[in-house]
Amino acid sequence: MSTVQAPLFSATAIAKNFGGVQALRGVDFDVTSGEIHALLGQNGAGKSTLVKILNGVHPAGSYTGTIQLDRRVVSFASPADARSNGVGYVPQEIEVLEQLSVAENVFAGRTGLGDGVLVHQRKLEQRAGEIFADLGIDINPKAYVAALTSAQRHLVMIARALVLKPRVLMLDEPTASLSGTEVDALFSVLRRLKAQGVAMIYITHRLPEVLAICDRATVLRDGQVAVRIAREDFDAEAFIFSMSGQRLQRLFPEHAAPVGAPCALEVRHLTVAGHSGAVHGAKDISLRVAAGEIVGLAGLLGSGRSEILHGIYGRVPAEGEIQVAGQLKSIKSPSDARAAGIALLTEDRKRDGLLFNLPVGANITIGNLAPLSRNGMVRGGLERSSILAAMRALNVKASSPQASVTHLSGGNQQKLLFARVLMRAPKVLLLDEPTKGVDAATRHEIYRLVVELAGKGVALLIVASELEELIGLCDRCLVVADGRIVDEFGRGQGGEDRVLRSVTAAQAERHALAAQASS
Amino acid sequence: MNSAAEVSSPPRDARSFRRRLIGFIAVGEVGVLAAMALLIAFFWLIEPAFLSERNIRAILNVVSFVGIIAIGQTILLVAGEFDLSVGSVAGLSAVVAAKLMTAAALPVTTGILGGIGVGALIGLLNGLIVVRLGIPAFIQTLGMLFIGQGLIQVVTGGYPVYPLPEAINTIGGTDLAFGLGWSFAFFIIAAIAADFVLRRTVLGRNLYATGGNKEVAHLVGIDTNAYKIGAFIVVGALSAIAGMFVMADLGSGGTSIGSGWELTVIAGVVVGGVSLFGGAGTVAGGVVGILMLKVVQSGLVVIGVNSNWQQIAVGVIMVMAVGLDIMRRRYFIAGA
Ligand SMILES: Nc1ncnc2c1ncn2[C@@H]1O[C@H](COP(=O)(O)OP(=O)(O)OP(=O)(O)O)[C@@H](O)[C@H]1O
Ligand SMILES: [Mg+2]
Repeated sequence: MSTVQAPLFSATAIAKNFGGVQALRGVDFDVTSGEIHALLGQNGAGKSTLVKILNGVHPAGSYTGTIQLDRRVVSFASPADARSNGVGYVPQEIEVLEQLSVAENVFAGRTGLGDGVLVHQRKLEQRAGEIFADLGIDINPKAYVAALTSAQRHLVMIARALVLKPRVLMLDEPTASLSGTEVDALFSVLRRLKAQGVAMIYITHRLPEVLAICDRATVLRDGQVAVRIAREDFDAEAFIFSMSGQRLQRLFPEHAAPVGAPCALEVRHLTVAGHSGAVHGAKDISLRVAAGEIVGLAGLLGSGRSEILHGIYGRVPAEGEIQVAGQLKSIKSPSDARAAGIALLTEDRKRDGLLFNLPVGANITIGNLAPLSRNGMVRGGLERSSILAAMRALNVKASSPQASVTHLSGGNQQKLLFARVLMRAPKVLLLDEPTKGVDAATRHEIYRLVVELAGKGVALLIVASELEELIGLCDRCLVVADGRIVDEFGRGQGGEDRVLRSVTAAQAERHALAAQASS
Repeated sequence: MNSAAEVSSPPRDARSFRRRLIGFIAVGEVGVLAAMALLIAFFWLIEPAFLSERNIRAILNVVSFVGIIAIGQTILLVAGEFDLSVGSVAGLSAVVAAKLMTAAALPVTTGILGGIGVGALIGLLNGLIVVRLGIPAFIQTLGMLFIGQGLIQVVTGGYPVYPLPEAINTIGGTDLAFGLGWSFAFFIIAAIAADFVLRRTVLGRNLYATGGNKEVAHLVGIDTNAYKIGAFIVVGALSAIAGMFVMADLGSGGTSIGSGWELTVIAGVVVGGVSLFGGAGTVAGGVVGILMLKVVQSGLVVIGVNSNWQQIAVGVIMVMAVGLDIMRRRYFIAGA
């Protein structure tokens, strides 16, 4: 955007303090009509705090500074207040009403499609269906949200913001759990909104997305604006440098698949039931991972990748055979899997990862207390020292082991969960979206950690939506479509296009088969 | 426990003891203790007889009965469930034990074990139904409250069981110290043990995890169902024990033992900072909460407030305590 245009929405000298933590120290920010403005920064830089102020989650009075919409000073008392002023928001954390249908969730807090207080269920479903068609996603508006994966839940939240037809739209890491095709569909929607003159604020840790769609970028660092960059000067390396002050030599650390290593994990004919049309189960999956090998599961949202991991870990009922280090294991529950030396890092930190009622330290040791206790009593000193060691090893930034996990930044929460799964020194490590919502520098740390673990002989099976990351990191990729493995290739034998080709081919085949069956 | 000791005689020991005491009692409990100290001072200023030996003894005696149940309820709340049938279970166990000793002429020990067995069995039943059938604890234990009340009438035919064997009267009448008997001793020991279990053991930590997020606890290999059922059994057994202590105190298996306790117990532990949503609170807190509730009830009687107003005061205090707790958390987290 080189034309000088008055900003549609602007914030001046915003400062916010959370009981001693200065999250924002005088930030100026603005966005013009028809512009997509990227808001970048490391975990904990203050991005979410800024957009939460801009749409009333942190209400007027809890911060200092002014906000202007259309050159009028506004102060929002609540997100509903912001919404009624045409300011829409997609939060970073998934906030859905699990017991309601998808359509009801999309229209939550804003029915108004009926007569007075009545709700026209059919109209809701129809409108929601149209928005999903727009976004190019296949979710039944009647389905219950409880059955959706976290990526699908995220899409529901995006749809919820879009039904408002906002003039200003803030998206806080909307793509963190989406994969390529869904991201593309979202981008085409955003481009159309842009053409309609909507002003957008876009937060992400995926720099290629910034290069693809954003017009301007503001980098926050420690609650201050570090730099503002115009589209002409976009450059991924420069972004990373201004966010973290570090230069990264190479994105993915080097790793070569071990030769002749023994098989650590062998899965044969694993079958897991899917649920309610939203997610494919795993169908007759067979795979092997050698000790020290990094294997990736690539595929689209809902293709059944997470279900494979859950089946192996005993989280969901599964049929089939699982061998660890050549020994047949009967895995009926997570505790069986753990006893067999398998560990799982789950995808949704809030729902399946963190214990918000326990402090940082206890979150790390939970489930790992056996070696830290004697006769059932936790040995306080030993626990504390191993917590500190784990926090140091993974560079978890928290004020103390007694700190609350609620306000750790996304990246630190993720490292904390890594510390938890690594404490048992697993032989097989299943990682579901290990870098979700994690900033570039921390991502790099996680890649290094993965490679280091592989170097120690741990077998890794990884699900990641960002194909570039999966392909760069893994020794071997298995492509999953509709719950089946449809392709397999080693490092250097294919890229993102190969994954997409295999998925499309598999889908075409399935449709052909279906057509045959029905004729 | 600590708190009770502190009320009657402030720690006179060295500074290190106090530091440890403060470290031992988390911030939440300190708030309740401070509020209680204020209330005690208030009642005492209006009516010095409030701190008479007799009144203190009366308060501690009542607290020992409901306090025993509060220990179990705290454990269960920490595990993410709760039990409304504790009063019925206390009454039913008492009359069953009484019948076993009298009508069935079984030895006293057998009668007592039978009473505890009834409590534990009902706890097991509550736990199994809640965990395996997925019926909400509210419904299941509310149902059990009525079932228990009905069974009390069935077992006794509506008449108190009387007289009881001499051994029971002895248990009820023993004066160990300061006019307090076995029920108080059991209460203190059970409270210290339970507090220790929740704070310091693997079992305790796993209970907090279970109540905090069942799915996460399951994923880290904790058998959450077993923990919940176990907590229900503990509540049942402790309710039975409390019921039998009241029976021993009264010297008869009365049909109204335990009636109305469920709400007192829940109100008390909630005042002491135990969360109704699971995963938060301590036994020390729950016990202090019950003590505070009883201090208020007794204080209002002593200063001569009409009994209707006493009920109102209890309600107001419970809501205020929870409100203050929420505000305190918000203050500490958001920093005003
Ligand atoms: N409600 C809160 N109470 C206390 N501290 C908070 C709260 N919300 C955020 N913080 C702190 O404010 C700082 C900025 O957090 P914020 O969530 O804005 O970071 P972010 O840039 O969005 O990070 P991420 O990329 O991980 O999402 C962090 O230090 C965080 O711990
Ligand atoms: Mg954020």
